[in-house]
Amino acid sequence: MKPLLCVLAVCAPLAAQIKLPAYTRDVLPNGTALYLMQRPGLPLVHFRILVKGGIESDPPTLAGLSSITAELLQRGAGLRSAAQFSEELDSLGGTFLAAAGEQSTSIAAEFLTKDFDQGVSLVADAVLHPQFRQDEVGKALARRVDGVKSAKDNPGAINSYFRSFFFGAAHPYGRVPDEASYGRMRRDDIATYHQRMFAGRNLVAIAVGDFDPAAAKARLSAAFEGAPTGAAYAWAEDRPPAAANRVLLVDKPDATQTYFIIARPGVRRSTPDRAALLLVNELFGGRFTSMLNEALRIDSGLTYGASSSLQMSRLTGALYIGTYTKTETTEKAMDLALDVLKRLREKGLTADRLASAKSYMKGNYPPNNVQTIDQLAGALADIELFGLDRNEVDQFFARVDAVSLEQANEVVRRYYRPEDLTFVVLGNASKIRQVVSKYGREVRERSVSQPGWAGI
Amino acid sequence: MRSIIALLLLAASVFAQDVRTHTLANGMKMLVQEDHGIPNVAMYFFYRIGSRNERPGATGLSHFFEHMMFNGAKKYGPKMFDQTMDNLGGNNNAYTTNDLTVYTDWFPSAALETMFDMEADRIRDLAFDPKIIESERGVVYSERRSSVDNNNFGALSELAEASAFVAHPYHWPVVGWPSDIESWTMDDLKSHFRMGYAPNNCVMVLVGDVKFDNALALAKRYLEPIPRHDPPPPVRTREPEQQGERRVTLSKPAQLPIVIVLYHIPDSRHPDMHALDVVQAVLASGQSSRLYRRMVDIDQLALQVGAGSRPGLDPSLFQFTIQPRSVVDPTATEKALYEELAKLQDQAVPAAELRKAKNQMLANLYRQQKTIAGRANLLGQYEIYAGDYAKLFTEDQAIEAVTAADVQRVVRQYFTAKNRTVATLIPEKKEVKQ
Repeated sequence: MKPLLCVLAVCAPLAAQIKLPAYTRDVLPNGTALYLMQRPGLPLVHFRILVKGGIESDPPTLAGLSSITAELLQRGAGLRSAAQFSEELDSLGGTFLAAAGEQSTSIAAEFLTKDFDQGVSLVADAVLHPQFRQDEVGKALARRVDGVKSAKDNPGAINSYFRSFFFGAAHPYGRVPDEASYGRMRRDDIATYHQRMFAGRNLVAIAVGDFDPAAAKARLSAAFEGAPTGAAYAWAEDRPPAAANRVLLVDKPDATQTYFIIARPGVRRSTPDRAALLLVNELFGGRFTSMLNEALRIDSGLTYGASSSLQMSRLTGALYIGTYTKTETTEKAMDLALDVLKRLREKGLTADRLASAKSYMKGNYPPNNVQTIDQLAGALADIELFGLDRNEVDQFFARVDAVSLEQANEVVRRYYRPEDLTFVVLGNASKIRQVVSKYGREVRERSVSQPGWAGI
Repeated sequence: MRSIIALLLLAASVFAQDVRTHTLANGMKMLVQEDHGIPNVAMYFFYRIGSRNERPGATGLSHFFEHMMFNGAKKYGPKMFDQTMDNLGGNNNAYTTNDLTVYTDWFPSAALETMFDMEADRIRDLAFDPKIIESERGVVYSERRSSVDNNNFGALSELAEASAFVAHPYHWPVVGWPSDIESWTMDDLKSHFRMGYAPNNCVMVLVGDVKFDNALALAKRYLEPIPRHDPPPPVRTREPEQQGERRVTLSKPAQLPIVIVLYHIPDSRHPDMHALDVVQAVLASGQSSRLYRRMVDIDQLALQVGAGSRPGLDPSLFQFTIQPRSVVDPTATEKALYEELAKLQDQAVPAAELRKAKNQMLANLYRQQKTIAGRANLLGQYEIYAGDYAKLFTEDQAIEAVTAADVQRVVRQYFTAKNRTVATLIPEKKEVKQ
């Protein structure tokens, strides 16, 4: 591999295409995909290990299994006890973060380059040889149950209520871990899950940083080639959530502000519409000057922030408006959010708005996507997980530029529809129950003091 | 473990040589660090004005003013600052603290001149439209509801700090008391502008795809003509020494309690601060830290525990934040904390543990410099709080110089019962509907 030097557009003019630096992809005999990207500069190395599956692979009755497995990886691994592992990691000034995402468990770890070998040893031990000691499992599960309770003390819990309600228990994204699912979990469930999923054919190992590529490859290969080949995870079938008018009201009696989400089914990460959708969503509810933030914050002062989010996962996700306002202006804010959606729908976008969104997206792309070794590792992870290639980065500007006004407005018509909306509202129910009832034929109600989430 | 230090010194010396400075005729200081890795620039303006410069009745004004800085000036009217940046491919934000108001712009390098024009426009000729003031008041109140009134950690933290400081302006929250948010007037805003937005009260930092000579020429053209004037008057009030433990409670519907324990510590330039940073790392940095091991892992008393201090132009606070487990009496977590502090007072930190803490601090310092935005922020913070941006490049030596005896001494000096304020959120249990 050639050393690559600031391939990243040195002194490039404004809209010059950003290129992903050179990288190599190899497949070990056990199926592990190995990515290496050399980035001279800061003497750091970033490791990103992916295990395909993620929360999509949680058994229906054991929501949170992938997540607790990730947490326990560093609580004793190989010959290291939990205490030895953390002692060694902290002594190097290293970082180690393992978490379950929608389609993969991701282990992100960063070390000084001089500690490359020790870093690989820690990461590989955690990924391949966790002990799952009974006492560690018991402590982690008990903490998780309290974690669910603690989450409900915060209005941010609306996101869990939303996923549970919008996708429902029949969908992997709707199975949100709760007191009951953690209560059912046993050590054997975790060990069996690890044995099944953390195998060569599900593993991706990525290293980005200031290292010698040949030595790095040899070291990583040696660390991961011992993993059993296993069976490739069979991805779940995409069963998009139905578009239907439904309302969930979550009672938090002490809330002085109402938090709400308005949703419809969206897209998969790999949709060919993604460039157009990203542009449209930026204008509708992404950047600060978006239609939603302008109406609900800048022009009316109803909220600190209003946005529209586009879930970009392997399975069809949600497209949703999210904001909050004081209890007294709940109806005004909800109606205004709907009005903005209708306005987008009826009037569409203008050429100058679309041009502005293109500039915004391209200008902000380099610092947010290709500046640091962790961002570059994330770009490689996306390529592997979603079946993309380097053109995802290299042709990004070209794809953005190619979106026509007609295409953008077609995307508006297809996805930004004001009917069959799902509403999730969290606030003081005694004060907003009546208002909320106008958004659907039937309102399901829950209280934050109840265990579980939407209860479906 | 010495090579970790050698590596940092190497990188630091490169960085230090890269920074060039100039002070404009009106007193505004500029720091420029060229880095052409990506075709973007981070432009930060640090104004030495924050909630410590406010008065009762107009608390939160610095933060409100920060919001108003985006609502139109003479040349670039309402909404134009953000829209112009959008069209040029840039983005921005701002933050206000007890001490500072900081404006942060990120943009492609081709937008540099327009940014100078827009920033000069708003710090010279900010407009105040009564309708926009009313609308923005609602925005800020919503921000307060989210970060304090509907956030248990935020609400308890506000109460704890207000109890720890009885005289000094750090007593009131940066976002302001609700009654003051409702009452700010146009005159308050205008006098705040006159008081603090002086070019001689500001440090500008540019990091990224920019040439020093070009930046200097643009600064001379756009910023230098803005006349200097008096900076905010000095903050006279000093917090009297605390002479006994203070305890406060907050009763709220909640499933889990929270405990915050505060200790008064010196201002950022005090020589004890590095030893206090080591205390933070030893107690609460990573799963091997003393408080994590004791409280989260072994005794299972807490869901989470954190520690840290915020920088202060005036004497500040060291804060412990604990979320006790659902079946644990919050006072049991307090007791464990005090026992761990007593151990640090009684026995010197072993050499390996001190080494670990320093390595964590050095690596963290390093990681903050991965982005142009991170470096712009650090350079400005060091210029303001340490009095010289170049202290960033000798920070590793300052960390290295801390001894186990220093750690023991500062823990004995500051972490005393008389010097602490304890705030506890006690859940009001409601009947659970099944």
